[in-house]
Amino acid sequence: MTRRISRETLIKWAPLLVLLALVIFFTALNPTFFSLRNFARIAIAASPALMVAVGVTFIIVMGSIDLSMEGTVSLTAVSFAFIFAQLGGSLAGLGWIAIPLTLALGGLIGLLNGLVHVKLKIPSFMASLAMGFVGTGAAILLTGGDIVKVSDAAFRGLLTVRWLGFPLMVYVAAFFLLVGWFIQTHTTLGRNFYAVGGGEDLAHASGLNVTRVRVTGFALAGVFYAIAAVLVVARIGQAESVTGANFMFVSITSVVVGGVALWGGIGGVWNALVGVLIVNVIDNGMVVIGLPDFLQAGVLGLLVILAVVLSTDRKMLSFVK
Amino acid sequence: MSTFIKDFIERETISRRNFLFATAAGFGAAAVPGVFGGGTAAAALTDPAIAWSYRDRASAYWNSVVSGGEAFVESLGKPKSALVSLINEGSTEKSLSDIKAFLAKNNGNCAIACDANDSPNARPVVEAVQAAGAYISTIWNKTDDLHPWDFGDNYVAHMTWSDVKPAEETARILFEAMGGEGGVVHLGGIAANNPAAERLAGLKNALKDFPNIELLDAQPADWDTQKGAALMASFLTRYGDKIKGVHCANDNIAYGVIEALRAEGIEDMPIVAYDGNPEAVQMVMDGQLLATVFTNPHWGGGISAALAYHAAIGTFKPSEEPKEHREFYGPTILVTARDAAEFKAKYLDSVPAYDWKDFWGPSNGQIQY
Repeated sequence: MTRRISRETLIKWAPLLVLLALVIFFTALNPTFFSLRNFARIAIAASPALMVAVGVTFIIVMGSIDLSMEGTVSLTAVSFAFIFAQLGGSLAGLGWIAIPLTLALGGLIGLLNGLVHVKLKIPSFMASLAMGFVGTGAAILLTGGDIVKVSDAAFRGLLTVRWLGFPLMVYVAAFFLLVGWFIQTHTTLGRNFYAVGGGEDLAHASGLNVTRVRVTGFALAGVFYAIAAVLVVARIGQAESVTGANFMFVSITSVVVGGVALWGGIGGVWNALVGVLIVNVIDNGMVVIGLPDFLQAGVLGLLVILAVVLSTDRKMLSFVK
Repeated sequence: MSTFIKDFIERETISRRNFLFATAAGFGAAAVPGVFGGGTAAAALTDPAIAWSYRDRASAYWNSVVSGGEAFVESLGKPKSALVSLINEGSTEKSLSDIKAFLAKNNGNCAIACDANDSPNARPVVEAVQAAGAYISTIWNKTDDLHPWDFGDNYVAHMTWSDVKPAEETARILFEAMGGEGGVVHLGGIAANNPAAERLAGLKNALKDFPNIELLDAQPADWDTQKGAALMASFLTRYGDKIKGVHCANDNIAYGVIEALRAEGIEDMPIVAYDGNPEAVQMVMDGQLLATVFTNPHWGGGISAALAYHAAIGTFKPSEEPKEHREFYGPTILVTARDAAEFKAKYLDSVPAYDWKDFWGPSNGQIQY
């Protein structure tokens, strides 16, 4: 009995151990890796990706998948930049209204995504991928392929103003991570995600409105993608139709590496955090230790496989699809 | 019979029939002028449909190419919509099939400008166009053994840009701003892309004349702003104060580099970029960038369509032109703080009205292999 518990505990903490091992490994090869300034650099790169990962964690916990993040992030980022400029282009003035509007838009896109998935009975994989394309297309329509700049000093303070060595955007991401954790553990909705992911038939038979849970889940994910979009714009000072590119790979990889099971019901936002940190530490560390660039993609792939092997409990799985 | 097999047979039958139709149409189109015109005008078409085949609308570069194509068709007194966009979305298969469909639809009465998406694809595209009796000019992608003069008149011309020399010039500007000493990092494009290799080669050429400049590192940032920001942050951890200058493979990467430095409170790092996008030109004027390079995609887009069109209607006969008129380099303009304002006024604030019959005026000599 004790052995079984210790094995479960080990699996639970494995992603964190992988992260610590990576930090020790990179520090051993180049001590400058282990510095506050470098951790701040990793945190800046990780903040938008973390928001996307937290959003998609809810969906994956439900046993679905959401691939709309690239289009949603692009569209909300571009919309944010336009609304922000329209409202005076300053956070000090009316510009702040652009933020709640953007979050609402993200929620709306997610809601649509969920409705297409549930009402038209299209698998979430296909429905969300298609919605993602619609989002990217809309972003191209809005921008005509151009870049929209956001250079308001107050808004860019998210990147330039530091507190205890970390830019404000890192604290914003941390705050919304806590919000995600609160939803996951302290709300009915959060528990329902696990009920649906753990056994949808059972949840349905117990009288749970699975349809509603799913649609709400996608809407919630959309809000988190919109937060990511605002943070990306804060980070690079511009929005364009390719702003969301790469987030699909980074977020899904992070979530899985962090120990969230793709078949649903297992893991949560802390796993997403650890996963995002693992992926970003690898990204940063490979450059910092001077790994030749032609090896980096291959090494990233191998480390991802290794991290998944170590951090998910596959003993009870009879098959993998 | 399963639906899969049934559908498969149906599809194959139809596509073979279409292929025969298209071929017949192509021969027909090639033969018709012969019956009516005869003599040297044998190959000329009347009022050919004009198309541009390119990657996507999500970048300033291709938008500018298309705007040039539209300016050209407007100069013929046609509406902008007379230019058909064949968007391949980065797919080689789609690039070829779109062009074949366009040829079939217009019975080969076509003038096409095209970037074939990857080098090997240029050959099947050109062969399809020649078989249909249409006319094509290409930019950027083609293999070194494929030449317009091997296809008679139908493959009108190929234009590309050599990035080695301009990248070398930006590197020299960078090194001089660094006072001729210190470390420099290069953030490159996708490693397998030809322009990425050329722009790094340009930097290395300039290094030979500056013995006190050290190239600390060169890594790909995939032409991407966010990747550029993350890579620059990692470089700062590895090299710290040793970095005295940054050489970027394009403008988008430079935007990311500037933001990564801004996050660290570094405002005065010498940086050079490439592409001459409007935002980058503004940054040159504001002193955030030292230089960028403009390749005039508007002119390139217009003149490629014009070459195919005028060859098609018989304004000139490609096979009678010298080789430097069939394979040539496009224009490159270096934009620095000194001339940025003038450049912006001339090329960006108002698009110059080009003479679309001056095919080779701004070009840069025959392509060297």
